[in-house]
Amino acid sequence: MPFVNVPHLHLLMNHVPTVGTVIGLGLFLLSFVRRSEHLRHASLEVFFLIALASLPVYLTGLAAQGAIAGSAGVSDAAIAAHHDRAMLAFTFVEITGFVAWLALWQFRRLARPAGWTAPAFLLLGVVTLALMADAASVGGEIRHPEIKISETAIAASGWFTAASVEGFVTNSPWVWPAAETLHFIGLSLLFGVLFLVNLRLLGAGALRSVSYASLHRLLPWGMLGLGVNLVTGMLFTIAAPDQYINNTPFYWKMGCLMIAGVNMLYLTVFDKLWALEPGDDAAFLDKAIAASSIGAWVGVIYAGRMLPFIGNAF
Amino acid sequence: MWLEGSALATWVREAPTILAFATILTLHTFGMGVLVGASAVLSLRLLGVGGNVPLVPLRILFRVVWGGFWINLVTGTLLFTADATTRGVQPLYFIKLFFVAIGVVSVILIERHVYGGNTDPPVVSATAKRLAFLSLVAWVVAITAGRLLAYVR
Repeated sequence: MPFVNVPHLHLLMNHVPTVGTVIGLGLFLLSFVRRSEHLRHASLEVFFLIALASLPVYLTGLAAQGAIAGSAGVSDAAIAAHHDRAMLAFTFVEITGFVAWLALWQFRRLARPAGWTAPAFLLLGVVTLALMADAASVGGEIRHPEIKISETAIAASGWFTAASVEGFVTNSPWVWPAAETLHFIGLSLLFGVLFLVNLRLLGAGALRSVSYASLHRLLPWGMLGLGVNLVTGMLFTIAAPDQYINNTPFYWKMGCLMIAGVNMLYLTVFDKLWALEPGDDAAFLDKAIAASSIGAWVGVIYAGRMLPFIGNAF
Repeated sequence: MWLEGSALATWVREAPTILAFATILTLHTFGMGVLVGASAVLSLRLLGVGGNVPLVPLRILFRVVWGGFWINLVTGTLLFTADATTRGVQPLYFIKLFFVAIGVVSVILIERHVYGGNTDPPVVSATAKRLAFLSLVAWVVAITAGRLLAYVR
């Protein structure tokens, strides 16, 4: 018996999105009080990293749902309601993360904050925090009836529920194949951009004569591919969770994705890379990071394509 | 059909090892990412929406494209032999091959148009832009057709 299992991981990580959003929003507000751009950058970096960390929180939640639904002493209604709220909160935490990435990318290029960021993050941060706190409190109902808020707080909510997403994907024969197609197109775009940028850092051939700043322009195309793949990937996972949560390569894939995601932030914001002029050689450490980034994306592709073959969950 | 019954095809299809069908299919996916990814980045640059990356050093991308192409020609051929009687009569399969051919030819023509002349630095002509657009469309259609092969009978 391993000393920690996947549902247990959900309990370890489930406070990260809520607490992280509080920290991100707090740093963001503090950056105005202290008039510090460094703090503002840091708050956006926190928002991006929280978006990244929320993915394993959501996925381990699915595994926890699979493990305890139907057992004595747990409220299935509370589990379903928690999933619905968590899905909505997850959607907003991801939107906040993507917008934060875009702001960081723009900061890097313009060297000054764009006017739209202040109202955007105030709004996104507060909405995300409210939704996340709501999802968390309903989650608490699952095992802790002593803190019961009220029956109405648990009732199914609105049209954006896990059941409706599952219905959307499985009721029509073309949604799954169409999403798979988009997932592969997104993969190509993402991999193409990041392969080129990392090849520059490795100093491959004539690419050393390219300034890093000019390749930085391409990063949003890679991010677009990542966005398409996050949305289509979540459709698969919510519609057929059993194919993924009981599948070992799926966890390899998510592990590689976390490494690659942190790397994406590194490529976007770090001064050392931005300063690379035509002909400059990247530092050894940056080359090692570039190689690990390519390795992580290859790992994502390998584990993803191997999902039906290594595990027997399909 | 003799091809599908050959020892190689049987191995690809039926060998009880992860190194046969599954690994070949995964290599095919990886080759797709390399080939289409590099080709797409090049096309985006030529269309003017991929920033101002200098064109001369980007020529290295053709080597990346060809690397992906050869991986996929070999793995694609192996996957075809394993399933020849099904694929050989599937219109969708030939649609895919047709658009792969258009994609490959457009990449060759792009290299000729952009890098073939004596202009230094290379200039992006209207023809090069049209070819870049054609190549993007061809890859999207090829991936769509290829992916749908798994779902359409």
